[in-house]
Amino acid sequence: MAASDAPNGDVLIRNAFGSVLAFLILLLIGVLAFSIRLFSVIKYESVIHEFDPYFNYRVTQFLTKNGIYDFWNWFDDRTWYPLGRVIGGTVYPGLTLTAGTLYWFLHSLNIPLSVETVCVFTAPIFSAFASWATFLLTKEVKGVGAGLTAAALLAMVPSYISRSVAGSYDNEAVAIFALIFTFYLYIKTLNTGSLFYATLNSLSYFYMVCSWGGYTFIINLIPMHVLLCIVTGRYSSRLYIAYAPLVVLGTLLAALVPVVGFNAVMTSEHFASFLVFIIIHVVALVYYIKGILSPKMFKVALALVVSIGLAVCCAMVAVIIALVASSPTKGWSGRSLSLLDPTYASKYIPIIASVSEHQPPTWPSYFMDINVLAFLIPAGIIACFSPLSDASLFAVLYIVLSVYFSGVMVRLMLVLAPAACILSGIALSQAFDVFTRSIKFQLPSLSDHSHIDARDASSENIVPDDTIKTDKSEDTPKERMTKRSKKKEKEPVEKPPTKFQIKKRLSVLPFEASIIAVILLVLLVAFYVVHCVWAAAEAYSAPSIVLTSHSNDGLHVFDDFREAYAWLSHNTDVDDKVASWWDYGYQTTAMANRTVIVDNNTWNNTHIATVGTAMSSPEKAAWEIFHSLDVKYVLVVFGGLVGYPSDDINKFLWMVRIGGGVFPHIKEPDYLRDGQYRIDSMATPTMLNCLMYKLSYYRFVETDGKAFDRVRRTEIGKKYFKLTHFEEVFTTHHWMVRIYKLKPPKNRIRGKNKKSKSKTSSTTTSKRKGTRRNPF
Amino acid sequence: MAPPPNLPLFLVFLLVVATLTASSSSNTNDERVEELLSLQSRSKSGIIRLNDQSLSRFLTSVATPRPYSIVIFFDAAQLHDKTELRLRELHQEFSIVSSSFIANHNISHPSRSKLFFCDIEFKESQFSFTQFGVNALPHIRLIAPNHSFKDSQPMDQGDFSRLAESMAEFVESKTKISLGPIHRPPLLSRNQLILIVVAFLIWIPFFVKKLVSGQTLLHDPKVWLAGSVFVYFFSVSGAMHNIIRKMPMFLLDRNDPSKLVFFYQGSGMQLGAEGFAVGSLYTVVGLLLAFMSQGLVKLKNVTVQRVVMMFALLVCFLAVKQVVFLNNWKTGYGIHGFWPSSWN
Repeated sequence: MAASDAPNGDVLIRNAFGSVLAFLILLLIGVLAFSIRLFSVIKYESVIHEFDPYFNYRVTQFLTKNGIYDFWNWFDDRTWYPLGRVIGGTVYPGLTLTAGTLYWFLHSLNIPLSVETVCVFTAPIFSAFASWATFLLTKEVKGVGAGLTAAALLAMVPSYISRSVAGSYDNEAVAIFALIFTFYLYIKTLNTGSLFYATLNSLSYFYMVCSWGGYTFIINLIPMHVLLCIVTGRYSSRLYIAYAPLVVLGTLLAALVPVVGFNAVMTSEHFASFLVFIIIHVVALVYYIKGILSPKMFKVALALVVSIGLAVCCAMVAVIIALVASSPTKGWSGRSLSLLDPTYASKYIPIIASVSEHQPPTWPSYFMDINVLAFLIPAGIIACFSPLSDASLFAVLYIVLSVYFSGVMVRLMLVLAPAACILSGIALSQAFDVFTRSIKFQLPSLSDHSHIDARDASSENIVPDDTIKTDKSEDTPKERMTKRSKKKEKEPVEKPPTKFQIKKRLSVLPFEASIIAVILLVLLVAFYVVHCVWAAAEAYSAPSIVLTSHSNDGLHVFDDFREAYAWLSHNTDVDDKVASWWDYGYQTTAMANRTVIVDNNTWNNTHIATVGTAMSSPEKAAWEIFHSLDVKYVLVVFGGLVGYPSDDINKFLWMVRIGGGVFPHIKEPDYLRDGQYRIDSMATPTMLNCLMYKLSYYRFVETDGKAFDRVRRTEIGKKYFKLTHFEEVFTTHHWMVRIYKLKPPKNRIRGKNKKSKSKTSSTTTSKRKGTRRNPF
Repeated sequence: MAPPPNLPLFLVFLLVVATLTASSSSNTNDERVEELLSLQSRSKSGIIRLNDQSLSRFLTSVATPRPYSIVIFFDAAQLHDKTELRLRELHQEFSIVSSSFIANHNISHPSRSKLFFCDIEFKESQFSFTQFGVNALPHIRLIAPNHSFKDSQPMDQGDFSRLAESMAEFVESKTKISLGPIHRPPLLSRNQLILIVVAFLIWIPFFVKKLVSGQTLLHDPKVWLAGSVFVYFFSVSGAMHNIIRKMPMFLLDRNDPSKLVFFYQGSGMQLGAEGFAVGSLYTVVGLLLAFMSQGLVKLKNVTVQRVVMMFALLVCFLAVKQVVFLNNWKTGYGIHGFWPSSWN
């Protein structure tokens, strides 16, 4: 007894030391998560990226300027002209409100950061939060060591970096944090059975619903886990407490978000949760009755309860089916449907299929986005199964579902990333645990030293938690993290140590093989770090509105987009309407502050198809369409001069497809020569006469005399032509953005006087270019 | 003595012949339609198998405008095993269009005798293939009432890309005959469905009983473990990509047809075999690692441990190296570290 006092004190100190260390490590992980995302600011500048973030930025500006009520009721007339768009009711407000709150908070502290700066750095800040949330979640599943490893992995997983670099101000930036945190609270409730955490869980779910449409993943994953627990006989009152409040409170709260509203109870995405809600009540009742009845009585009662429960379930299922069948898409949104039937989108919804992030990924995508984690996950799955607990079952379910969904849509790799980090963290931490333990116990010089440790470790073999105690010989920071963290964990597993003396010898691996294994693992993790830093620096940091290219004569910067938008804002009237393909809608409204016809919120397919049709039509027809929409300027993006591949000519077939989907006179085969899309001399006449071709290649031959398109790597088909209904008003430095003005409509009186003349000229100009003055 | 009684008969015969020839065009047309309808009723899907003779009988020897349009599917049994042509699938879709047309228009419907779906087989009717100038399959052609061989309209690639629906659209737009909704055969026939439902209903009570006593396969963690590892393998190998894009397992080398290409260079696409190969490399490393840290640890024999572990480590190392190599080769990314510049 006296002997056990000294180790206890020793252990206490060591635990305190371990906690402080774990805290410091977490702090460093936060710093790492934040700073690895700053490459975009260092390499480019502090600027909002890409497309959607510009919209969010604009909304945040509005919020900070006009306050929350005006934001809630905001009807935006600058977009989807002439329809407009109700912003307050159609956006997920989580991100905007978060950044707005951050802005107000900073300003109340008299830190005068601009809205843009706050928006740029929201994503890195939340990635730090996300890695801490990962720590908490993994700690609940497999202990502190795995938690710290997982947090470190998540801090730099490329898939998540791609959506959360500084400047990538999009919903996912905060949503991933909310996702992980909601899962953490769920598992925490499940482990403790505390209503306090259950309430927090609902609130966190509410924040997730505010932030991202991906919340449906949560409200399907958690019911599935509950169902799985029930089916495999793991029902407990803790499970009930974790689930029932979430459904009731969570659904009520979700319905408060305008964009979700009654969808929270009306669409099929949510039905799984209600069904499981019923089932868990039936099961709870069964367990309750089982508790108060004798086994014999219970058998009798069971038949009764099961039949009643089944009847109720059947009734509910029938009602749900009836409800679902009455809605046209069977209550599922197109994006969700394409998850269940992967071929759905490519068949029926071109506007979903056209987005590159909805494509199915190939194996290199996995290596790019989760890198070596792909190797470690199977080990993590197995570790979760030995032994299986409610929490580890959840981790397994999470990885299985997310990896399946990521296989359908490359975009969902983002949801996979946290799961991959958690599982890999568990696997790595367990492997290090075993290998370092094997080294330590067989290290001759330290054998007497580590006597107490040895006993601790051997005792821990019995307990599921992984713990490592090693000397400080290996020095990668990552490993040190796991190692040191382990110390903290010793207390809960500290049991009478002497009992397991025999076990120690059995549960080790050969000394030299373990050393090799540790070295290989460290190399693997080092490769991961190198890859992640490379991905963050090279692959995912480009803001895509500023482009750079390295060539022999140094660095080239292409800042054409901002040049064009600035031109628009300085040289056009405030109320002028600008037409472009929908990709550039958000940027035009945010940067040029001009009204656009369509934008990246693709809520109205017909409107987009109208613009697509105009772009695919000959000049005159296009002019008429644009004129009917009050369009003054047409903006096209052209990469042929500098070799920028994602320009409008490359997106053109989608315009044709989407346009043709609504207006059948636009037919895709008319633009293809033998099924091939080409713009050289073999191109079809329809292609060569459509507006997009003309606006892109107008005067292109003047640049190099040959009109060689560097993206398509060919000389264009029609080099010399004039525009009859449009006039070029601005072309940026590298020709990447070209802005055209619609010529004013023909003067009718003058036209009447010269009726005969204009008649002939208008019919011939389109054919004989350059021989006559144009009719306008 | 014989002629007198025969004479009126002969005259009658002459008369009949004369009237027949006078009304021959309309009569033969009706006959042909009848004939086609009877041929149609003989086939299950309503597709009429034509050959060189019958083709000339129903097309060339009938004066234009014919009272009917014909849609011909050009088939070649010898090419059915070339999956990239999708002949079987398209023929199946074609017969769906045909049977839906028949199902939507009963025999008395005026449109019924205006449109016929036929197919011809290359082996039987090579002459017709040359007459239509068909030298590539798949090929579907519509011969409208006043079309000859040459000016009949072929269906474009785009028109059968969406299978039966787009074929029907094409036919509808050219012939102005409404085909009505497409009836796809249900995945399971009605009897099968009933059988399954009944079996399911019978099975439920047994299942619930087992479930309550906790003895199903579902209670065995090994099943779940194997299932989840399989789903993982399936997904990371990009099998979903192969299914959606209908990628083949391998390609024939364009330069040397005897060689097979298993790995495709370029990150946007992958072949089936390639995906599964890399997917198993991804998976095997994790499995070996788990085996070492969970299974091998419990072994008592140190020599076995040592040998197995060395072997496992070697396999893991090679697998990772191979994936890194393949990835660099496929995507062309040069992944590099960012070292202090003084180190160089």
